[in-house]
This record gives sequence, C-alpha cells and structure tokens, in this order.
Amino acid sequence: MCGSHVVILAGWREKCGAGLKIGSAPFVSYNYDNGGAAVKKKIQKIEPYIWIMPSIILMFVFILVPIAFVFRMSMSKVTKAGLIKGFSGFDNFSKVLSTPAFSMVLKNTLVWTVAVVGLSTLLGFILALLLNNEFKGRKVARAIVVFPWATTLVVQASMWSFVINTDYGTLNTLLKRLGIISRAVNWTSTPEAWFAWEIACGIFVTIPFVTFTVLAGLQSIDSSYYEAATVDGADYWQKLFQITIPLVKSSLTVSTVLNIIYVFNSFPIIWNMTKGDPANRTDTLVTYLYKLAFYNGKQGLAAAVSVIGFLILLACALVYMVSTLKKGDE
Amino acid sequence: MEKTAARPVNVKKLVLRFFLYLTVLIICLLILYPYFAMLCTALKSRAEIFSAEGTVFPIQALWSNFDDIWYRAPMSKYMINSIMIAGGSTIIALLCGIPAAYALARMKFKGQTAFLGFVIVSQMFAPVVLLIGIYKVMMTLNLTDSLLGLIFVNAAFNQAFTIWLLRGTFLGISAEMEQAAYIDGCDRFESLVKILIPVAAPGIVTTLIFVFINAWNEYTVALTVISTDTNNPLTVGVNIFNGYNMIEWQYLFAASIFAIMPVVILFMMIEKNLVSGLASGGVKG
Repeated sequence: MCGSHVVILAGWREKCGAGLKIGSAPFVSYNYDNGGAAVKKKIQKIEPYIWIMPSIILMFVFILVPIAFVFRMSMSKVTKAGLIKGFSGFDNFSKVLSTPAFSMVLKNTLVWTVAVVGLSTLLGFILALLLNNEFKGRKVARAIVVFPWATTLVVQASMWSFVINTDYGTLNTLLKRLGIISRAVNWTSTPEAWFAWEIACGIFVTIPFVTFTVLAGLQSIDSSYYEAATVDGADYWQKLFQITIPLVKSSLTVSTVLNIIYVFNSFPIIWNMTKGDPANRTDTLVTYLYKLAFYNGKQGLAAAVSVIGFLILLACALVYMVSTLKKGDE
Repeated sequence: MEKTAARPVNVKKLVLRFFLYLTVLIICLLILYPYFAMLCTALKSRAEIFSAEGTVFPIQALWSNFDDIWYRAPMSKYMINSIMIAGGSTIIALLCGIPAAYALARMKFKGQTAFLGFVIVSQMFAPVVLLIGIYKVMMTLNLTDSLLGLIFVNAAFNQAFTIWLLRGTFLGISAEMEQAAYIDGCDRFESLVKILIPVAAPGIVTTLIFVFINAWNEYTVALTVISTDTNNPLTVGVNIFNGYNMIEWQYLFAASIFAIMPVVILFMMIEKNLVSGLASGGVKG
C-alpha cells in the first residue's frame, strides 16, 4: 500500500517536472538578452497548466485510463482471469448482442430510466411548487425531503425490501391494523412486481434532487412577473405555464440530464433488492455487466456491455446538444 | 369578525391553504414512513419481527440492539474506514479541485474549454461502468483491498462536481481584491490562500461536505475492490447482517441508522447552499 503511494507521488512529480521543463528552457535563453519580461510571459503561459495538473493526473489515472482499458478490453479476447489475449474485433459485441437475455436487459434499462426519471421529475416538480409557498413548518418539510437524498442507496434498498416483505413486512402489518386489508398481500409475486417496486424506490430517492434544483430556480424568479400577471387577470394555470415553467426550464433541464446519467448507471437499488434475478428479468445494463465481469468471469463481454451503455448515453447527450444548439440558432 | 366579513374571498384562500398543508403533510409522512419502519424494527427483538401477527411499534424498545451490533460485527472498524475514506477523498478532491477551479475561473489558457468539457463528460461515466478498468488500474498500483485506492477513486469521480461548484463560487467573487493583492506583491498562490479562499469559504464548505457525503455513501466500488471484511466501509459492512442464511433485520437497521445519520445531518446543513451553487455554476457555464 505504501509502495504504491510512492509510485503515484513519483509519477506526479515526474509529470510536474515535465511541465516545468518546458518553461525552464526559455528561461535560460531569454534571461540574458531580453530581461525578465519575456520570461515572465512564458511562465504566465504555462502557469495555468500547473494549476490544473493535479486534477488532470487524478482524473487521468482513475477515469481516463479505466475508460481506455474498458474500450480495449471490449475488442480483445479475454481469459477468465482477466488477461488480454489478442485483438478480437467486434466479437464480444456480436456475442453480447446475440445473447437472448440482452434484449430484455436493454428493455429493462429503458423502462427503468424513463420511468424513474420521468415520474420523479413530474413529482419532484410538483413538490417544489408546493414547497415554494410560504407556510409554517416549511423548513421542517424541506429538512424531511432531504432524507432520501442523503441516505445511501443500499440502505434505502434494504428499507424497502423489508417494508414490502409479504410475511413480516411492515406495510402489510400497517394496512392490516388500519383495516384496509384483511390478509397479507404478496406485493412481489412476479419479477415484474419486483421491478416495479425497484422503480418506486428509484423514484423515491430521485425526487429530492429534482425538487431542490427546481426550488432554486423558482426562488430566483422575480415576484413582479406574477404581480403583473395578476393585474392582467391571469389565473393560476396561466401563470404556471406562461411564467413558472419557462423560467425554471433551465433548472429542470439540468436535473433531467444529470438524472438520466445517474439513473441509467444506478446499481445499488437493484443489486440489493433482486440482484437482477430471476433469470435477468430485473437486470439493467449495469447489474448485467457486473455479473458478467465479477461472477461469470466474462470480462470481455462485460466490457462490451459497458461500451454499449456508454454509447447509448452518448447518443442521448448528442440529441440533447443538437436540440439546444438548434434552439440557439432560432 | 369584522375582518372576515370584509374579505369574503378569503374562504377560497383558506381552503387552498388547507389543501397545501394536507398535501405537504401526506408527502412528508410518506417520505418518513420507511425511516419510521426502520427505527421501529431496529428496536424489536428477532422473535417480534418474525411473529405471525406483526407489530407496528415495538412491544418494548430494545435499545440493546444498538449496543449489540458493536460486538456482533466489526462496526467500529467500518465506522473508522468510512470516516477515513470520506475524509481522505474530500481532502484529495479539494487539493486537486481548488487549483483547477481557480485556473478555470481566473486565468485564460489554451484548452480551457476542452478541459471543462472533459470534466463534464467524465460525469457520464459512473464507476460501475468502468469497474473492470478501475480494478485493473488498482491492481497495477497495488491498491486493491485498500482504503487508499477507494480514496483516490472517490476523489477522481468527485472532481467534476468539485470543479463545477468551486468554479461557480470563484466566478461569483469579484477579482478586484486579488488584483489589489498582486500590486502589493502577492503572487497568485498567496492571493488564493489569503484572499480568495476565506471569501469563498461558504462555497468551499458546501463542496467539502458534498464530497464527504458522496464518498461516505459510495457502495459499488467498495463492494468490488475490498476483499477483507475489516477494510469495508459502513455501506458495505452493514450487510454482514444481511447474510445468505438469515437476515438479522434488527441489527441491519440499527447499523444502518449509524451509517446514515451523520450524513443526513450534514446534508441538511448544506442543502440550501448546495442547490444554489449547482444552479449558479450552471448559469455561468
């Protein structure tokens, strides 16, 4: 552990050293004929790169290198132990795509992402509108809404699996006590039901982020807009659709874009509740690739799934970018 | 009496108010319900949890459950690991992120947009998608099964947020004071440490706490790269009570409460600043 620490520090120094050398060569030559001004300029030119260097090194080693490695692995023959044994072109991809389970996994991922992001955006937006009103206890309400955001996903998942358990879950107990049901209900009789609960849990944990992002947008709206609209005789819905929504659109876009990425890549909820079982019926891309890589020893295929997932997200990002660019042109 | 008679419109307002309170109340109860269930379960005996009738509140609060977990599992070790991982990640993320955000906010250089672009694009890769690659890097650096490895990964994946939030904070502060400091002979480093950082302290604290929370809550990478149980953070460690043969719900939840309480409190403290920070960083993008 200590040894590797030194390796990293040494690497760091080496990189910084390289950066400094670029500047130190002119330092010698200019020092005599041109005085300090030119040197200063040179140093100023490379200075920003020294400032961003630590961050670049950190992201290079722990994000960029893994990205490159996953891409390389997706096009290689990989042994069970994870060793690369030569180039294999698109073999891994065609193998993954021809697996019968894969289309179901893709469909699940799509349903999961669209349902969680869509519903949590809608509900989170409504909750933000409610919390934007002045009322007693608003601070307490805001503090309560923070809970699901701050709680680690894996604990949320165990909480939910306990609540909905058929035999001893507290939801059944509570509903029986309230006289709403007379016998314990099996909330998770099918894989689809499990998946629906996982989606519900996903929505539950995603709402706060939407709510708070939108709230920040709402609170920056100048109240004079609403006063003017009231004078003009606008009703609540007109104000909502013609003032509020257009003005919080940028907040909504930020939260939606980030949520698509997070939810698409979300692992702990499904892993903790069903592990994608039975027979991949509740798998999404990330749980599927996790099992391929760390349970079945098929790292090449897992890498291919990673790349496919990344390409899907990239396609979404491109659609988003093109659409905003087009709007900018109008 | 006179007042209500003078303003009959207020009945409608009163009804709306009532519905506002009612809806907010219902939502808050829904949000709190799983936590309520968790707390009640953490105070029950195993027999009570699995009893046929089932209870909502514990018959008798068994506070000893909160005590037992420290003997039945290396909880104190998990707790220390979580603190080390979250603390270490925060320090490294800020040591790397502050200079980068400062350069982005105060200097002009070639590749600035490209760097900012990469920072944003790096958000698209969750650690879970890159786990195979991360694992390989860790093996090469001999960092598997170590807290240090987790610290670096968490710090790296939090760079985007750190830089984004801090850049927004720095941009929101006028550069005049720093320029005055240059005239007085300060170099950039001194002006950053002595002038900008104290002024930007609220934004920096928000970022610091946010990274701490993210690293504290991280589960997937720890689950994969840690193989020795006593090296686990709380998020992975508490599942020792969620075994293959039997689940000790009362212990699982008692331990989980320890795992979530510190960060829930921290989160409440920064919630307001965090959101406006994210929003302002976005506007100035």
